[in-house]
Amino acid sequence: MKEVIDISYLSLFLGYVLLFIPIIILWYYKTGLVKDTLIAVARMTVQLLLVGVYLEYIFEINSYLINLAWVIVMTIIASFTIIKRSGLSYKIFFLPVLLSGVISIAVTDAYFLGFIINLESVFDARYFIPITGMLLGNTIRTVIIALEAYYGKLKKEQNSYRWYLANGASRKEALLPFMQSAMRKAFNPVIATTAIMGLISLPGMMTGQILGGSSPSVAIKYQIMLLITIFSSGILTVFLTINISNFFTFDKFENLKKKV
Amino acid sequence: MKDIISIKNLSVSFKNEKIIQNLSFGIKGGEKIAITGASGKGKTTLLNIMAGFIPEYEGEIFILNKKLNYQNIKYIRQNISWLPQETVIDFEKVNDLLFAPFKFTNNCKQEPNNTIIENIFDKFDLSTDLLQKKTSEISGGQKQRIMLASVLLLKKKILLLDEPTSALDEKLKQKITDYILSQKITILTSTHYKYWMQKSDKILSL
Repeated sequence: MKEVIDISYLSLFLGYVLLFIPIIILWYYKTGLVKDTLIAVARMTVQLLLVGVYLEYIFEINSYLINLAWVIVMTIIASFTIIKRSGLSYKIFFLPVLLSGVISIAVTDAYFLGFIINLESVFDARYFIPITGMLLGNTIRTVIIALEAYYGKLKKEQNSYRWYLANGASRKEALLPFMQSAMRKAFNPVIATTAIMGLISLPGMMTGQILGGSSPSVAIKYQIMLLITIFSSGILTVFLTINISNFFTFDKFENLKKKV
Repeated sequence: MKDIISIKNLSVSFKNEKIIQNLSFGIKGGEKIAITGASGKGKTTLLNIMAGFIPEYEGEIFILNKKLNYQNIKYIRQNISWLPQETVIDFEKVNDLLFAPFKFTNNCKQEPNNTIIENIFDKFDLSTDLLQKKTSEISGGQKQRIMLASVLLLKKKILLLDEPTSALDEKLKQKITDYILSQKITILTSTHYKYWMQKSDKILSL
């Protein structure tokens, strides 16, 4: 198989020229998103370049302790991102979101890396860091949608939650429609994307692996497992985040706290 | 006869403004109370407090011989029924809206049969054909009557109603008032409707 063609730094720089198209469109419609886009692209570039350098060292050293610490840092950053983007209180949500993320990653990584790929150690940097990164990246989106839907609906439709409670429902029964709505909003798009996978979209990991020299059949097996793992980890994280956060977001009278 | 609801020295403030001040009263089982007063005087607030939705108040409230606190709120909510003026309960079908509270473990034994439903629909001037319709296809008045029917069918000891006739036309208002107030349960209603006030046992003016 041919060696993958490297992108020179000059070509990489020229690649940014493509950004003129979105920026001009965003500017033309006065969306107020130009500044955010520029900041996001700058952050993405710096972060990825730093991570590129960092990962080279991490892969070389391959210390399980450092790998684990790196994943914990990623999970903490992911938790902050989720809470910020959902417009919720850090004080109330940090622990539930972090705890859910850690449990969900531990379960899915252990199954995927330990059982399916049968690695000698699940903490092997080459697998542990990129796979967990992909899981976290995809989970962030679904958890944000789910939290926004769940707490947004609870705030907007407070009377309907109260109506359930004051007509004999247990808290779990009264929250069921809100949980259903959050799950549907978060996972309908994931299910739709999964169903057309390969036909319309070729997933990033698979493309990366093929470009990197793997045979398409190996890349596809990894991709299938990864999609299943992302889906399971997403559902598990949403289920845990909402259920754990319920302990902190309701008062003793089972009313949604005003601070949420 | 002992009071089924007893309120002692109740005071509630919102943003430093006293909404209810030193309110005390008792209600006997089966009594019908009309709560009246201008907008912002605390009619809805009083009903919400009794259903446990506003725990920040001074004074004491006893419902069914239990003090209203977090230890007893579950018991109290299992024995009352509450209908707010505005609800955004988004069931697709009218049938699901009517039966929603009967899906809860605590109420499933109360699920009404067809004869009971036909009977109450008749009293409320509703056709049972409505049950097969989408909630988006019925009027506000029909929705209000269906929700009233639903909470009455729960047969709870105490019913808390917030402006229950607000979406009904004059002709229906009187018929439905007569039917609801003929029930042998305790009913507290926040209302501006004169006929409801006249037919109630007591008027609580805030």
